[in-house]
Amino acid sequence: MAVEKMKVISIVGRLSDLDTVAKMVVLDGNVHMLNALSELNSNYFELEASEENIQAMQELSDLRPYSEKRDFGKDEEILKSFHRIFDIKTAVYDKFLCEDYSYEKISESLIEEYDSVSKTSEEIERKLAVIEKKQMHIQNMEYLQNTGIDVGTLTSMHFVEFKLIMLAKENYKKLKLNFENIPAVVLEVATVLNNVILVAFTPKPLVEEGDRIFESLNYQRLELPEGYTGIAEDIVKQLYREIEQENNDIEALKASTENFKKKYMEEAQRAYSLLQLEKKLELVKSEVAMGLNMFFLFGFIPIGKLQGFSRALKDRFREDIIIITEDVEKRRGGHAPPTKLKNNRLFKPFEAMVNMYGIPCYSELDPTPFFAVSYMLLFGAMFGDIGQGFVIFLGGLLVKHKLKRISLGGILARLGISSMFFGLLYGSIFGNEHIIHGLWVKPMENINLMLIGAIAFGVLLINIGYIYGIINTFRRRDMEECLFGKEGLAGFVFFWVLLLTVVSKVTGMFYFPTIISAVLLISMLVLMVFKQPLANILKGHRVLYEESPTDYYIESGFGIIETLLSIFSNILSFIRVGAFALNHVGLYIAFATMAQMMNSTVGGIAVLVLGNIVIIGLEGLIVFIQSLRLEYYELFSKYYSGYGVLYKPASLIKETGNDVL
Amino acid sequence: MDNTTRYAAINAKLKAMESSMLTNSDYLKLMEFSTVEEVAEYLKKSTGYSRVLGNIDTASVHRGDLETVIKRSMIVNIDRIVHYFSGDYKAFIKALYAKYEIEEIKTIARAVYNKEDISKYRDSVFLGEYSGVDRSKVFAAKLVRDIIFAYESTELGRYLMPLIDNNLSENLFRLEMVLDLSYYSLLQRAWMKLSKSDIKVLETAQGLIADLLNLQWIYRGIKFYRLRPELLLNYTIHMGHRLDYGFIKKLCYSEGLEEFYKNAQQTKYSFLFKNDETTDIYMERRLDRHIYFELKALMKTKGMSIIATFAYILFIEFEARDIISIMEAIRYKIPKDEIKKFLIRTIREGA
Repeated sequence: MAVEKMKVISIVGRLSDLDTVAKMVVLDGNVHMLNALSELNSNYFELEASEENIQAMQELSDLRPYSEKRDFGKDEEILKSFHRIFDIKTAVYDKFLCEDYSYEKISESLIEEYDSVSKTSEEIERKLAVIEKKQMHIQNMEYLQNTGIDVGTLTSMHFVEFKLIMLAKENYKKLKLNFENIPAVVLEVATVLNNVILVAFTPKPLVEEGDRIFESLNYQRLELPEGYTGIAEDIVKQLYREIEQENNDIEALKASTENFKKKYMEEAQRAYSLLQLEKKLELVKSEVAMGLNMFFLFGFIPIGKLQGFSRALKDRFREDIIIITEDVEKRRGGHAPPTKLKNNRLFKPFEAMVNMYGIPCYSELDPTPFFAVSYMLLFGAMFGDIGQGFVIFLGGLLVKHKLKRISLGGILARLGISSMFFGLLYGSIFGNEHIIHGLWVKPMENINLMLIGAIAFGVLLINIGYIYGIINTFRRRDMEECLFGKEGLAGFVFFWVLLLTVVSKVTGMFYFPTIISAVLLISMLVLMVFKQPLANILKGHRVLYEESPTDYYIESGFGIIETLLSIFSNILSFIRVGAFALNHVGLYIAFATMAQMMNSTVGGIAVLVLGNIVIIGLEGLIVFIQSLRLEYYELFSKYYSGYGVLYKPASLIKETGNDVL
Repeated sequence: MDNTTRYAAINAKLKAMESSMLTNSDYLKLMEFSTVEEVAEYLKKSTGYSRVLGNIDTASVHRGDLETVIKRSMIVNIDRIVHYFSGDYKAFIKALYAKYEIEEIKTIARAVYNKEDISKYRDSVFLGEYSGVDRSKVFAAKLVRDIIFAYESTELGRYLMPLIDNNLSENLFRLEMVLDLSYYSLLQRAWMKLSKSDIKVLETAQGLIADLLNLQWIYRGIKFYRLRPELLLNYTIHMGHRLDYGFIKKLCYSEGLEEFYKNAQQTKYSFLFKNDETTDIYMERRLDRHIYFELKALMKTKGMSIIATFAYILFIEFEARDIISIMEAIRYKIPKDEIKKFLIRTIREGA
């Protein structure tokens, strides 16, 4: 239920072992790579001065990046055409990856075999090209349909050249305006989008001149098939017949490779999988620094995975490898550690919604649990209904399992359950409040309670937001914001004093001395205005302001106004929770009234069903968005920065856990 | 939305941004310098370019790098304006980028055609700003047609693809002409979606520019290239403001330079053709200066319209070009009074 702890792993080994180490990194799939050169530049790399480290220390002085970029383009092309001939999809299969096969050997033998199939495949490719060309001819001929033009006769004229051309409309306009000077007769036959299709007749001696003019209008010549006679319609028919013939031929060719396929299919899939691995290895290696005989590799690894991985490395290479691990807290510079969220099954889907706002920083509290609980409560309170909640729950399961949108489906299902829970409290099934008796309250009959309750709930959430914010700023060692910021301790005290003062004045339930409240409020405001110089005095810095004092005070002066406004608007914002709960009932009442006005029972039921659909679709969406708005705007702005880096380990398996909505 | 509400904010922003453009005295100072490093240092310390020059070490900056930075500052400025627009208006502002991207494509295509190394154009700043082209594809080009294929799926593709079908041989001239004309076509297409009053003012502004460019093109076509009148005509821009199609046609079909001069003298733009040796040298500058003043005048009468934005973008281009001219002049040790003659902006001494 938190941000997973990371460690920095540094691996130093022999260059000859680099390939194997890189492969282990990828197959292990837990190392978030760091660029070794920039890492060595920004952090002091501590190697104990011992005998086994001596060689590595010598090499540290002269490092270069990995530069032997290998080009797999051609191999990949060949392997892909294998897949094409076999009619199978290219995919990476795990089962081929864990073996100790070398990519070179497998691909070499396979690529040798390629020659024998390549003839067939080339034949297929050639026929496909022919088909494509014929299809283009058909498309061009179709422009001439209904013109009655005998294409065969026209193309074989001796003294006049006949051609089909395409011009952009604006250029055709230019041509028309200067018709009298053009050495060709031009006839418009069709228009497509912004283009005009024309036939042009040019006397052969003037063809060159004419073409130059067409060129200046950026024309496109549309090729016509040669050696055909008759009108366009007939030629098109004939072309279709020919394409069918070619297709049959291709099928026959593919069938003839069937034997070959049986023999080599698995091999091709293996080679392709290994090729993808090989490509990933290149990526890993591009982050490595190389000395004369040794390489240096750095990465972040989750603490839980560290032991297994380093043991595997040690078992394999024994004393040929040096592994150093370091706590991220001790790092002085370089890249911030990546964030990998770890949450239980109930909260997991909500990570996607948190990530939509931003990735939490490594040092920040993971907001997901608080987000998940509060989001479910907000949604449920606004959309409490056993029946409609159940529909949303089912919808969520459907989205998750049928559409494979794991996060969205998971969220919907959880919201559905929350909605059903509140439905039980409100006693509402598909809007009807008479079937069961609510366990707590009927919203419409207790409007004031709903609205005040919503505000009270909002105050509770804002409090938790303040606490999160104070913890986060404390963890960042940002004393200025933590103690004096408007989301820090000063802001929190201000919030409470203001709240108590208002409540005591309005309700008179208890007595809160005005003097004390005024003194506290003003002193908190003063703290907030002077937060930067105060923090710098506390820290013993001599420079009190980061910018010019004038700018600073103007900004913090306005900051006060914003603080006051935002406290009011934050609290009042939560009134919508109650309002939407009422709205939810109100919308149903409207439909129920319409249903009563229908004279037939069937009609009435139909209206109610329609009403429920509208409520689930429209209101469900609105409430979904309103809750999100409360979370992002009212709460996240208090404590969550979202400037973290996503944990992306070098691995062949698709990243998990960070799918978007 | 009516124009007052649309432009109240953006015009205020433009005024603020204009205030950070170079002043007369800035230009005078720049021309005093004798090295590019000094120019860079001054731009960094005392002008609005400090924003883009922040990370640049002015002591060792190269002229080419400085040019790149200055062009990049155009993008930075234009992108700041873009935020004030949405929808079709945003698309129109983005279309203005096409002009600069096209210039860069032409440069790269020429280098490819001449079999030069094109890696030195890798920091072309506008490439892809309009079209979103995959830059790596452009720089992998071995032939001009590779560049065209790189643009196949972009907005420019529909203009460029016809070149592939007709011409197996590489033809730089046609590529350049198609690119130039495509800009006016796509610009027109983009502004047609704006409000009526904005279309009108753009037709005037771009029409003036088209008039001047058409005159320049026909003049050069007759004098240097001796092109056929039909071709001359086809390569003109059909959006003239003062010179209508009939007159342009007449100009194209002029029998020789003399007749062209005679025809051109009837226009408001006769100042371009002095019929002496200064015509060719200063044509570009006269043309740009004229555009500058015409746009200034338009802004006075039609301030609450797209014209302020349109002009601002052109003016920052002029400024960038002037700075680049000054740097080149410094490099070739041209005296200050001579430099002034090549700048678009009129520089007053001692002001």
